[in-house]
Amino acid sequence: MKRRKIDVRALPAKAGNEVEDRLGVATPLRSIINKVFPDHWSFLLGEIALFSFIVLLLTGTFLTLFFEPSLKEVTYDGSYAPLRGVHMSAAYASSLDLSFDVRGGLIMRQMHHWSALVFMAAIIVHMLRIFFTGAFRKPREVNWIIGSLLFWVGFLAGFTGYSLPDDALSGTGLRIASAIMLSIPLIGTWLTSSIFNGEFPGDIIISRFFIAHVLLIPALLVALISVHLALVFKQKHTQWPGPGRTNTNVVGERFFPRYTIKQAGFFMAVAGVIALLAGAMQINPIWLFGPYEAGVVSAASQPDWYVMFLDGSTRLMPAWQINIGIGNGYVIPPIFWPTVVLPGILVGLSTMYPFVEARLNKDNKIHNLLQRPRDVPQRTAVGVMAVTFFLVLTLSGGNDVIADKFNISLNAMTWAGRIGLLILPPLFYWVAYRICLGLQQHDREVLAHGVETGIIRRAPDGRFYEVHQPLSTDHKELEYAGWVVPKKMNRLGALGPAVKGFFKPIERPAEAPVSPGHPPVEAPPERREIESKH
Amino acid sequence: MTVQTTGDNGNGHRSPVPEEIDYDDPRTTRFEKVKAAARQDGVEIVHYEPQFPAGGSKTEKRMTRTVSLMFLLVGLFGTAFVVLYIVWPWRWEQGDTLMRWYTPLLGITLGLAFLFLAFAILTWGKKLLPREVSIQDRHDGGAPEGDRRAVGQTLAYMVEELGVKRRPLLGLAAAAGLAPVAVVVGAPIVGGLIKNPHADNQMFTTGWAPIAEPDGSTRLVRLTRDDGTPIRPADVSAGGQMTVFPGIPEGATNVHADSPTLLIHLRPEDAAVARANNVKGTGHDKFSRADFMYGDYIAYSKICTHAGCPASLYEQQTNRLLCPCHQSQFLITDNAKPVFGPASRSLPQLPIDVDDEGYLVAKSDYQATVGPDFWERP
Amino acid sequence: MTTPHRSGGLLARMRRRRSVPRSKVRRRIGAATRLLAALVLAGGLYTAFAPAISAQDAPLSPAAMEGKALFDTSCITCHGMNAQGIEGRGPSLIGVGGASVDFQVGTGRMPLGSQNAQAVEKPPVFNEEQTRQLAQYVQELGGGPQIPEGNDLHSGGDIAAGGEIFRLNCSSCHAFGGGGGALSSGKFAPRLSDTTDRVIWGAMLSGPQNMPVFGDNQLSPDEKRDVIAYIQETLGDSNSDPGGFNLGRLGPTTEGLAVFVVGITALIFTALWIAGKS
Repeated sequence: MKRRKIDVRALPAKAGNEVEDRLGVATPLRSIINKVFPDHWSFLLGEIALFSFIVLLLTGTFLTLFFEPSLKEVTYDGSYAPLRGVHMSAAYASSLDLSFDVRGGLIMRQMHHWSALVFMAAIIVHMLRIFFTGAFRKPREVNWIIGSLLFWVGFLAGFTGYSLPDDALSGTGLRIASAIMLSIPLIGTWLTSSIFNGEFPGDIIISRFFIAHVLLIPALLVALISVHLALVFKQKHTQWPGPGRTNTNVVGERFFPRYTIKQAGFFMAVAGVIALLAGAMQINPIWLFGPYEAGVVSAASQPDWYVMFLDGSTRLMPAWQINIGIGNGYVIPPIFWPTVVLPGILVGLSTMYPFVEARLNKDNKIHNLLQRPRDVPQRTAVGVMAVTFFLVLTLSGGNDVIADKFNISLNAMTWAGRIGLLILPPLFYWVAYRICLGLQQHDREVLAHGVETGIIRRAPDGRFYEVHQPLSTDHKELEYAGWVVPKKMNRLGALGPAVKGFFKPIERPAEAPVSPGHPPVEAPPERREIESKH
Repeated sequence: MTVQTTGDNGNGHRSPVPEEIDYDDPRTTRFEKVKAAARQDGVEIVHYEPQFPAGGSKTEKRMTRTVSLMFLLVGLFGTAFVVLYIVWPWRWEQGDTLMRWYTPLLGITLGLAFLFLAFAILTWGKKLLPREVSIQDRHDGGAPEGDRRAVGQTLAYMVEELGVKRRPLLGLAAAAGLAPVAVVVGAPIVGGLIKNPHADNQMFTTGWAPIAEPDGSTRLVRLTRDDGTPIRPADVSAGGQMTVFPGIPEGATNVHADSPTLLIHLRPEDAAVARANNVKGTGHDKFSRADFMYGDYIAYSKICTHAGCPASLYEQQTNRLLCPCHQSQFLITDNAKPVFGPASRSLPQLPIDVDDEGYLVAKSDYQATVGPDFWERP
Repeated sequence: MTTPHRSGGLLARMRRRRSVPRSKVRRRIGAATRLLAALVLAGGLYTAFAPAISAQDAPLSPAAMEGKALFDTSCITCHGMNAQGIEGRGPSLIGVGGASVDFQVGTGRMPLGSQNAQAVEKPPVFNEEQTRQLAQYVQELGGGPQIPEGNDLHSGGDIAAGGEIFRLNCSSCHAFGGGGGALSSGKFAPRLSDTTDRVIWGAMLSGPQNMPVFGDNQLSPDEKRDVIAYIQETLGDSNSDPGGFNLGRLGPTTEGLAVFVVGITALIFTALWIAGKS
């Protein structure tokens, strides 16, 4: 029988047609690969979180294959000699086995923990970018809320994960968590008892946290992240103002090929950095902590960094106990305020901020162009104030380590934190506000009078002055366009171009680029006799 | 084949320039076809410039070599990872210095493989692919007025058709019937998890409660070490402290997580002060502490009244007890009252004595509630 | 409520002072007053129950004679004739035993350099031989606990048992990794690495500064051996850091710092490069 000839070159087209006949994906696919994304480094911060989340899922799945979520008591008989013969829970023993008796288990554990820290850090950094550039404004309020929720769900994921190995440090954290739940008025004891199935620690909390950590919370995270990304896709990314960039377009690169390639490369970079961290730096050495016992504790007992601000607020809280003299008497313990009320307020404030700002500014417009932080001094100052507040609390969460390593009195550190928490945020609000105004003013000054040339001239009357290169051709004051104002001569092409490379300058002729960093002027000023401008 | 592009970009909007393109026309380049396809999505490729002129410049060749080299390095480090994973001694061994490098070597080879892959891909994309600037139109603000009205009318019509307004009984009945179903969903979760915190008075008792013997008498609980051996007063030197557990089955385990207690042997002068303060009490006590100490020995709950951490950093000269979690400080010689930090309540004091055999025992359970505070603590 | 007349004023003065961070230089300059205060406290309390032995009756051994000579030149100013202490300057050493001298002098905490929240470790003034002679002298003066002979006091100890004792009794101040930790008002528990068996033994036995005493009645010599074995062989051994650089074993604090300083910084630089114009 004669072999049928197959036209290899026509195969892809044929296969494509077959798929299209059945699924009808060509049009949506086209609109996806043609989607335009603006290009700026600050738009890649969210991706760090996304990619570290993928690493978390992969390494976490590996860990579940070996971890035993049980508080059943066993006697350790693994490789790690200093704990051999010690009674411990099966959860702790299996975590030790993961570290010492599973080939490559420790690197997986460390990658998982490091990527969790990177995940939370990236969320914060990404959120700061969104906040300071005003990217949360209409129509993106919903995505801002989802993003804020992602932090808190990630927080829960982190805390449940931190608790799973049942080492002495995580047990201490769990005990504090139970104390926090206990402190809630009216329902505290019922809530704690229901979660721990009786008195702390009970015998089931690890299995409950396990299912929360590996199923419920990740499912919620995946759902929220999917909606988050879908909304970015649907609403299209915000962009910086600049030549050709308006509120009704997106200027950038198409999804395919360059944007995709950059994303793929960045994913590998995130995975690589996490792997390097996991190889170079030991994290959470549970074998040194020993199994959790109610009477065991260590100096410098801290939670992971993203929980540390709550630890700090708890440390700084004065011992204000509220007694309610009804019946037998009721108590609101001091731990209730910094660990239940404060996070509640923070969630409320952060999620509601877009609406608060829109209301204050009576702003109902759609904003697709970002704002430079200096152009919105109030918001920037509020952000700086919040960051300061968070930092003071976080540092206070590690105040015993700071006190010990820098020879400061621990009590002095606590007082410094208490006073700092009240004084520093308003102070930094003011400082940030003034800096914004100063930067704004300088931008306007350059637009009005031109760039400083460094050339000093002497007028006939003996007066010295610096020559300024005006930005406009006709000595008119230019309108501020919300983007970088050139402040150096080589930015204007008036001096030799210094196109910056990543580490060293790459000497290349200046092009006529469509890029940020260029003045909003029509024609670049020609090389003219530099003239005075006064 | 001629395609009439409608300019529909998938969002129901018409792009400004609908146009025709013949995908079989050999005179149009493939890029022009790509541009036409992009226009269908409202995307205008305004700038598309190869980074290198055709024919291959020196820089291009160098770039190509760099990227290739990076891919080779990916392979090298990837192989190194696999080889090390298999051959390097990995099991923990006391005194083995090689195994200690197992995890660092894996992490570093894996990380470098990933990073070189990252930079190979990125360099390829950044340096070898043409630079492009595209502009896509946004279509914010949702559907035009007409569409909104259409959807709104349709929804309103559907609601009307249900006729709940005309037949209110239906609505009421449906609500009445569905409410219990909603409860059905929540009930097992709440009902299964809920647990009475005051069963067995567990919030107010610890392992130190005297044990009722079958013959009706009560036996006092001994202070024991974590291995269960009882303690004589002479086992703790002046200026020393010892963590003690109730001498009952599982007394030193987490079953009795509220029972660990710190037994402190005070120096005589400090003991005198502590005794005097015991007599005075804290001012909030509903009981007398007058005979809680045994000689110069004093025992306080190790579980902090603030957040439940073991408050166990005992400073034998200042007689302060520090909790390492939130730095609450308690003054042992003054009824362990909080003197610094967020704790608001004294550590509960365990009344102690010595039994006939000379071992330390708890005279009774703690009189104050052990552990972190809660709403209904009397 | 402060301790009796003997220490009250001084304690108050210390509290006022110690909230200020001090540079190393200043710390050294002030050292004398600091240990003095600590010793006033420690010794003052000790005198009350120390066995009232007058040691002059028994003849001193040759080593103790050497020790007495050293004592009379270097220690007598604060601790007084026959180590009976001087009110307001230094505590009596009657009954503290050789262990205390071994620890305080062997780690350079004595002679005191400056007044501070607590005496700090310095390069020792006396060599090993002299330290033993001093210890012998104090021992023969008033008796007290003594460190066993030899420099290796941990071989044969049960590491796992030592670990359990360590976590229950020591880690609360010295931390799980042995890195030490802060105590109230500027006092601290020192780190346990790079120390000798004798120093650890002496510390447990004598309870220097604010450390509680762990006498042989509480932790038997065998148990002490176990603990020291755990400290030296597990905590002091880099084998316990199979996961790479241990970040000072300071727990989540340095881990959190590292993730920003190393991880996020590296990734932001990568992002800058990716989005930078090529």
